[in-house]
Amino acid sequence: MAEQSDISSICIVGGGTAGWMAAAALAAKLAGLPIAITLVESDEIGTVGVGEATLPHIRAFNVALGIDEAEMMRATEATYKLGIEFCDWGRRGDRYIHPFGDFGPTTNDVPFYQYWLKLRQSGDRSRIDEYSYPVIAAEQGRFRRPSGDLDAVESTFGYAYQFDAGLYAKFLRGFAEKRGVSRIEGKVVRVVQDGETGFVRDVVLTNGTTLSADLFIDCSGFRGLLIETALQSGYDDWSAWLPCNRAIAVPTQSNGALRPFTRATARTAGWQWRIPLQHRVGNGHVYCSSFISDDEAHDQLVAGLDAPMQAEPRRLSFTTGRRREFWKKNVVAIGLAGGFLEPLESTSINLIQDGITELLAVFPDKGFAARDIAEYNRRIGLHYERIRDFLLLHYVATQRDDSEMWRHFRNLRLPDSLSERIEAWRTRGHLIQYEFGLFLSPSWVAVFLGQNLVPDRHDPRVESMSVDALTARAMDVRARVDAAVRRTPEHTAFIRESGGAARLAVAGA
Amino acid sequence: MTVATLARQLPDTVRITLAEIDRDHRCADLFYGTVSGPGSYAFNLAAGVTEPALVLGSSAAFSWGSKYVHWAEGGRSWIQCFNLTLPVIDGVLMHQYLVQQGMTRLDPFLLGAVAGSRGTFAHPPRSPGAAGQQPLARAEYGYHFDPASHARCFAAAVPPRRIHHLKGALSRVGVCDGVITGIALDGADMVTADLYLDCSGPSAELLSRLDPAWLGGRALQISADDVAEARLGPPVRSVSFHDQGWAAQTPLRGSTRSLTVSDATASCNARGGLSASATLGRRRRAWAGNCVGIGHAAGIVEPLTPAPMMLLERDIERLMTLIPVSTASMTVEEREYNRRHGEDHHHAMRFTRALLETSALPDSDFWRAARDTPDAELEHKLAMFAERGLLVSYDLEPFHPEDWLIMHFGIGRRPRRHDRLADRADAKRVRRYLDDAAQQVANAAAALPSNHVYMTQLERYLRQDPRK
Repeated sequence: MAEQSDISSICIVGGGTAGWMAAAALAAKLAGLPIAITLVESDEIGTVGVGEATLPHIRAFNVALGIDEAEMMRATEATYKLGIEFCDWGRRGDRYIHPFGDFGPTTNDVPFYQYWLKLRQSGDRSRIDEYSYPVIAAEQGRFRRPSGDLDAVESTFGYAYQFDAGLYAKFLRGFAEKRGVSRIEGKVVRVVQDGETGFVRDVVLTNGTTLSADLFIDCSGFRGLLIETALQSGYDDWSAWLPCNRAIAVPTQSNGALRPFTRATARTAGWQWRIPLQHRVGNGHVYCSSFISDDEAHDQLVAGLDAPMQAEPRRLSFTTGRRREFWKKNVVAIGLAGGFLEPLESTSINLIQDGITELLAVFPDKGFAARDIAEYNRRIGLHYERIRDFLLLHYVATQRDDSEMWRHFRNLRLPDSLSERIEAWRTRGHLIQYEFGLFLSPSWVAVFLGQNLVPDRHDPRVESMSVDALTARAMDVRARVDAAVRRTPEHTAFIRESGGAARLAVAGA
Repeated sequence: MTVATLARQLPDTVRITLAEIDRDHRCADLFYGTVSGPGSYAFNLAAGVTEPALVLGSSAAFSWGSKYVHWAEGGRSWIQCFNLTLPVIDGVLMHQYLVQQGMTRLDPFLLGAVAGSRGTFAHPPRSPGAAGQQPLARAEYGYHFDPASHARCFAAAVPPRRIHHLKGALSRVGVCDGVITGIALDGADMVTADLYLDCSGPSAELLSRLDPAWLGGRALQISADDVAEARLGPPVRSVSFHDQGWAAQTPLRGSTRSLTVSDATASCNARGGLSASATLGRRRRAWAGNCVGIGHAAGIVEPLTPAPMMLLERDIERLMTLIPVSTASMTVEEREYNRRHGEDHHHAMRFTRALLETSALPDSDFWRAARDTPDAELEHKLAMFAERGLLVSYDLEPFHPEDWLIMHFGIGRRPRRHDRLADRADAKRVRRYLDDAAQQVANAAAALPSNHVYMTQLERYLRQDPRK
């Protein structure tokens, strides 16, 4: 039975991926409770719509909502994703894949990459990638779901999706509306706050409609209509560390086989993404306007395309950073309203997911306890900060100095949290651990080694294994990975066989 | 423990010297308490001490945890047992349903608590998929131990001729420019090394010469008496308070160890047993220069919980991940070791301090001194649970959310409200689920043998089976 202090109404301001993910999750998770959920969006206001690659956590989100994978994939033209290929980040001509999985098995509590460092020192030329099932599978265009047999190599990875974020939002809209979410078409022109508390009481639309709610979720994008314009939460600008402030996005035709990975290619003043979906390829150029003009950035993007454009490029501006308070009074900012970090590691949708998950964990009552809000802000703030450091690593773990941007990063003063991490790695391949954060040890290993930051020394414990024994063990690991990949079906075939094919089934591509 | 771990994990090219100072460590080691956590099993294996070796080579017994007698609100008792994460039901943590239902006790759902109260024990199964299928599979266990016989087990695990073993009184410690340059035992030459590990206990014979600063101040004394027992007692340590301190009874194989803790200025009543004094707290730097303080040389927490042994194990595990790669500079290792040591110590102190937030404890000098002002993070943890049953966690805490949950419920902390998402479920179905779950635990506990029978049979098996 609802108590007087219980939240009885939620208004989500803004559609797009953030708004509809919030709506769908709240509709599913609050089902059966007397809480009315309304989402207001305006067809006049475009959504950013460029976030198309995801992280494995999205599967937990979908599963929690009871979303069928094949159905979702058909609706969103999705492909599978085993990781991200980074090109030209360490040196021009380099490439590596940051996989969703580890590199080799831990032995005697020592992670495999330490043994690999010893192997390398002894003259072995195998790549660390060769010990990663998801990397080799991705390179060979193969995919399967992880095995439940924990002893199998095929269990040592996760996977995500590459999908059309606009179609995902549309899919979730259908999901949410079926579960009672009311969609109101309209543009918010005024925010009414309580005179005493400053809480948001209503939002008023262009047509005069007033929407009231106990809890507001601000998914209005960069503007932060409620969290910033009304409540003036403030913004921590991180562009000193991550200076990219523009993006151009353009779709191209599918060209050749569908690869189960996203590509991020470093450029002179930013980087270019390539995300293969079933029906098209998403491309974009993220860059810093201090280092390149918009026209040059456009030209670089077009020159880097491998297929004809399907539409005119869309342009975006942004400031990297985070809202000082993601949750203030009775407003919670999720998605771009909460902050922005460039999608170099596909974190945008994950940050939306985190925002929703933590809101459900600390779901308020009408008292909006200060401690609840402080705890939410602490958790989300930690997520943002740790992702920031990981993204920054890509820019600073480099040997490039061939443009103004790269030289800028070489001279950059880093946050202590990152500089200590880099120093520990460089000295001895030590990874400073944390528990709460998106990118754990294997991710850091992938970027450090992928971008040629090889530690000066390795863990002394690996010396307990002779080079001969280690070489034999390494060969065995590589052989098991290779054998497992050979058993793995081709990616496009798997999409078809798993029922996830939309156009593929029709076109027989 | 340190030497055994080093000997097992480091290559033979690393020379290990044990300079055993002539001193009876049995007294100071009392501050390690008598109970360890579930992490000990893996730690011991990594040091070359298998569980059969521990059972046959020491007086160790299995432990579900500690019973805090009359410690909770209203004078109730509870068993602070070890347990894997409780089930999450439709996205809601199980304990939220208890709060919703007005159920005030968590122990019926914890096999360690129920079996502990019945005095029964068996090893939890560890087959894949077992967790969640059987109540026993969610239970975890640690050990009851006597530090002296525990140490002997590890000494026996050191491969012969792997270490250079010296014994004597410490006569000289060379220090120059912030590093140890060597040590000498009576009648022997100076021993030099690249890295010195100070396991000398609270006196920190080496580390204190590099950094004497100690952060802490509450001085306690501890005494131990052992009473011979023909039959092994229950797999639960019993902790009770009195005006001037607290006492613990720990069933070991062959005896029961009684520990008494009081203020350092109180008169000591050890009846011919062991006793020691120490000041709680930690060294400002656990690693200074080329010297690392392990265990009590770097930090001491009150053995009210398994924290002392957990911290000792963590010290050694942390050391192994940071064995220096160069003698020229250990700055990176020192910084990282000290950061994590400080955090582990803080978290352990917080957990111990949280145990004192109960009106059942007397308002005496001892307990007033023990209840110093909680820090902001502990206040936040306690407040969030009190308000809404939310478990706030920080990175890599030694005590898991389940440990906190068991403590909160055990002490009688009742959240003001529950997770609203729990209201989606039909209340009658929830009640049936919870009743079934409790019944399963009760049935499982009833099927277990008594602790002494289990241990007797295990010992017999281990002594007969040559493969142990």
